[in-house]
Amino acid sequence: MTAYTLQTNGAVCPFPLIDAKNAMQQLDAGDDLIIDFDCTQATDSLPQWAAEDGHEVVAFDRTGEAGWTITVRKGT
Amino acid sequence: MILTGLLLGAVLGYVLQRSRFCVTGAFRDLYLTRSTRYFTPFLLAIAIQAVGVAALAGAGAIAPEPASFAPLAVIGGGLIFGVGIIMAGGCATGTYYRAGEGLIGSWIALIFYALFASVMKYGPLGGFTEAARSRTVADATIQETLGVSVWVPVVVFSAIVAALVVRERRKAAARPALRLPARRSGLGHYLADIPWSPWVGGVLLGLIAIAAWVLSTAAGRNGGLGITTPSAKIVTFLSTGDITLVDWSVMLVLGILVGSFAAAKLSGEFRWRVPDAQTMLRSAGGGVAMGIGAALAGGCTIGNSLVETSLFSYQGWVSLVAIMLGTWGAAWFFLQRPQQAAASSRPAPVLTPAS
Repeated sequence: MTAYTLQTNGAVCPFPLIDAKNAMQQLDAGDDLIIDFDCTQATDSLPQWAAEDGHEVVAFDRTGEAGWTITVRKGT
Repeated sequence: MILTGLLLGAVLGYVLQRSRFCVTGAFRDLYLTRSTRYFTPFLLAIAIQAVGVAALAGAGAIAPEPASFAPLAVIGGGLIFGVGIIMAGGCATGTYYRAGEGLIGSWIALIFYALFASVMKYGPLGGFTEAARSRTVADATIQETLGVSVWVPVVVFSAIVAALVVRERRKAAARPALRLPARRSGLGHYLADIPWSPWVGGVLLGLIAIAAWVLSTAAGRNGGLGITTPSAKIVTFLSTGDITLVDWSVMLVLGILVGSFAAAKLSGEFRWRVPDAQTMLRSAGGGVAMGIGAALAGGCTIGNSLVETSLFSYQGWVSLVAIMLGTWGAAWFFLQRPQQAAASSRPAPVLTPAS
């Protein structure tokens, strides 16, 4: 299993989510996708998407003022 | 008395920021992800306001006057507005509160939105807007056509919304919420740390909309929440110095900026964020479309889709549908199509192995 980072800082919603979905398609089950983002609405939409699509959120935290990171492990 | 507008606007901005309430997202995601996560709470806000306004009007406390229905202007304006809010990344209120969060792209959209609303209402295109909006048809409201009390649509609509809310809550109950690590304790944890759910946002939005009728009427302005006309008034006041334009609603929209800035700052979510050139251009174009569309349709996602709908006016409901169709078309054009086409205007996301 491998971990990849996806940098979306500066992209407004819904682009972080759209990019995350695209990136996830390139990954294998069990791989981690680390998404950095600074669009506030994505703090809601990214965990929602992960839950709905059966991926596991292994980390979710702030990275300073108005910045966040979430690590999503691809489900089978 | 107009200062109550500033206060209520600040509360509105605070609530929208904390609940991440986005009407654009609510409409867009019905199409993009078939999600009703924000749409049902938005309908709940309409229902709450409808009950409150019908009760207050019945008691004689307020006297709402639903807009007369100009089909072409409302449909055309709604479609244009719907396209604009996808390009700008947020509706009128959404753009105000994101500007308060420090998004430069939202400031650009906001400036062009207010400018073109002013052009269409008080400027060179004022005559065109008036002509388009004067082509009205006979009935203004659903209850007028049916010849029934306003309580009939209020009760029927509230029952539908109640059923949708129950269904949505059951669906959500199966999924545990994911939380960021707490940074505050006690009351501050609830006020300026955890995000508020869309339900909290929707209920408070409905209550704020009722309060707006009461406070605005007390300040001599017969109306509820409104965003487009006050935005146009700010621009016109700044360029003409006509102080009579500064009313309760102008205070309301300025309050949204104050409230969302306070909410974002206290929660560690404020930062000046500069988008790339393409996003800035798209925001500017979106702002232009929003100003033109909202002026023609007689309101935005608040003035029409939230307030006029609660009066059950045709303008409210027809423009809600038109705006929604506009967001769906634009979501396909700007969000889905570029992914499907090989020659995407946006570069594919770059993946790098984490060290």
